[in-house]
Amino acid sequence: MSTRKSLKLILSEHKTVIILAFIIIAGGSIGTYFVIDYLNAQNPEKITLATTTSTYDSGLLDFLLPKFTEQTGIQIKVLSVGTGTAIQYGKDGNVDVILVHSRSREDDFVNASLGNDGIPYGIHRACVMYNDFIIVGHSSNPANLLPGDNITTVMTKLRDAMDTSNMTFYSRGDDSGTHSKEKELWAEIGIVAATRWSGLDNTYAETGQGMAATLLMTYEDVNPAHEGYTLVDRGTWLSFNDTYTSLNILAESVVGEDFLLNPYGVIPVNPVLYPHVKYLSTCRFIGFLTSPYGQELINTYKKNNAVLFHANFGSCNSSIRCGTTVAEIAIWTPFQSEFIGLTV
Amino acid sequence: MADDIIEGILEALRLMFTFDPELWSVIGTSFRVSLTSTFLAALVALPIGSYIGLREFRGKKILTNLINTFMGFPPVVMGLIIYLLLSHNGPFGALGLLYSTTAMIIAQFLLAVPIIMGTAKAAIESVEPALKETILSLGANERQLWWELIKHSKKSIIAGFLVAFGQAISEVGAVMIVGGNIRWETRTFTTSIVLQTRMGEFGMAIALGVILISIAFIVNYGMTRLQSRVD
Repeated sequence: MSTRKSLKLILSEHKTVIILAFIIIAGGSIGTYFVIDYLNAQNPEKITLATTTSTYDSGLLDFLLPKFTEQTGIQIKVLSVGTGTAIQYGKDGNVDVILVHSRSREDDFVNASLGNDGIPYGIHRACVMYNDFIIVGHSSNPANLLPGDNITTVMTKLRDAMDTSNMTFYSRGDDSGTHSKEKELWAEIGIVAATRWSGLDNTYAETGQGMAATLLMTYEDVNPAHEGYTLVDRGTWLSFNDTYTSLNILAESVVGEDFLLNPYGVIPVNPVLYPHVKYLSTCRFIGFLTSPYGQELINTYKKNNAVLFHANFGSCNSSIRCGTTVAEIAIWTPFQSEFIGLTV
Repeated sequence: MADDIIEGILEALRLMFTFDPELWSVIGTSFRVSLTSTFLAALVALPIGSYIGLREFRGKKILTNLINTFMGFPPVVMGLIIYLLLSHNGPFGALGLLYSTTAMIIAQFLLAVPIIMGTAKAAIESVEPALKETILSLGANERQLWWELIKHSKKSIIAGFLVAFGQAISEVGAVMIVGGNIRWETRTFTTSIVLQTRMGEFGMAIALGVILISIAFIVNYGMTRLQSRVD
């Protein structure tokens, strides 16, 4: 007890000193975080990438990025959000580079006339890889989608079934790349789904959530007869198909059609518009992704024994709606040289 | 789903005892952010809150209403505000603090301040007037009275800290927006659970949930023991 009392005595005698020490420790701790975070923000070897949930959640980036860091020492912070959000982060100058999948909006992102005072938000888009979209649903299949139906037939059948029966189409409704693609598909048959079925319960359901959540809602389905459909990228589907066993692929790309292909592009944020972005490190990263080494890594990545993404820098053409120009290839070739000779 | 829960609990034990580096990074970030923000908030809010409780002045009602409103401030809105302030185009954009632990601490600090302030104020106000008069009659000045009342109501004040800490460690919206859920850096329990669920890794998500609940339990138990010992 005596030691305790003396401790109390010491405390009361040196109250001011102790309170001061407390404040210094607290101030020091927050100050240290502040300084470390500030220095990190200025470090040219730490770049921030905004990308879509499909590339991150599939595990692809956790597989690729350590190999890049090992080679260059550059660390990449990944923000995994939807395509719409990723593009917005890029427009605000909060990230250095974006990796997204919505070709029309990528073109807007690098278009000078849609930029800030005639300066585009991003420059030198490069094709990286593609995968494809599929339409999944329950085996009851009220829209009677058949293998081999082309996309116009598929969308027409879905429209008719939605008009006449109780089935629900689940839309992401979140401005993501998948949502953009779905709107394009409805546009193929001249429909704006959100207005056509607005006010009707459980016909066209906009979940406003990520792909996995939307897939789960399709699987659970509001209708007890389980008749929901949704559009999903194959990567996410392969991660979940053994969980949601009652869902099946009911429509996919048929030979000679490119509507359902899903190309991913990488775009640096324009250093002219935002001088603070770490453009050189970003270019080395894109050099890595587009180099033969990076492209081979993408092709070897598997989940549940299936290849999720197909590399296509330089080889892509109009047939997969992702034209790369000779000029773009010329820009990235010098940055690929430091990765030449590396093997998977 | 029952299988998932059992699998999750086993996974939790496995991760804890194999010292999985990713798990410990998540635990470390969660604690660093929540403890720092709660501690700093306590440093600011306790003196102010208890002083408001002690004194009567004009506009106290409005101030009380304001504090009570902010006690229930929606965390995602706080996240959005901090995002806009720290965004490159925002007023503090040049610091480059968006997507960092500092940004998360700022958001949680601002959420914790009204909670601690409100509970401290209520604790001091709930002291029986007779005790105040006794302390004063023993010749205490106002500063001494203030200190005595804080000591007297320490239980409620500690409970306020606990509520603030509990909110900080289980909060998801604000830390997701301003922290960005970056692996090894700003990923916390809650943002990690969101990510794992999205990826279909329910086992890992449940494991993290189990660990979070256990830690909360241990912290609360420890604090309760501490409280009963102080008496």
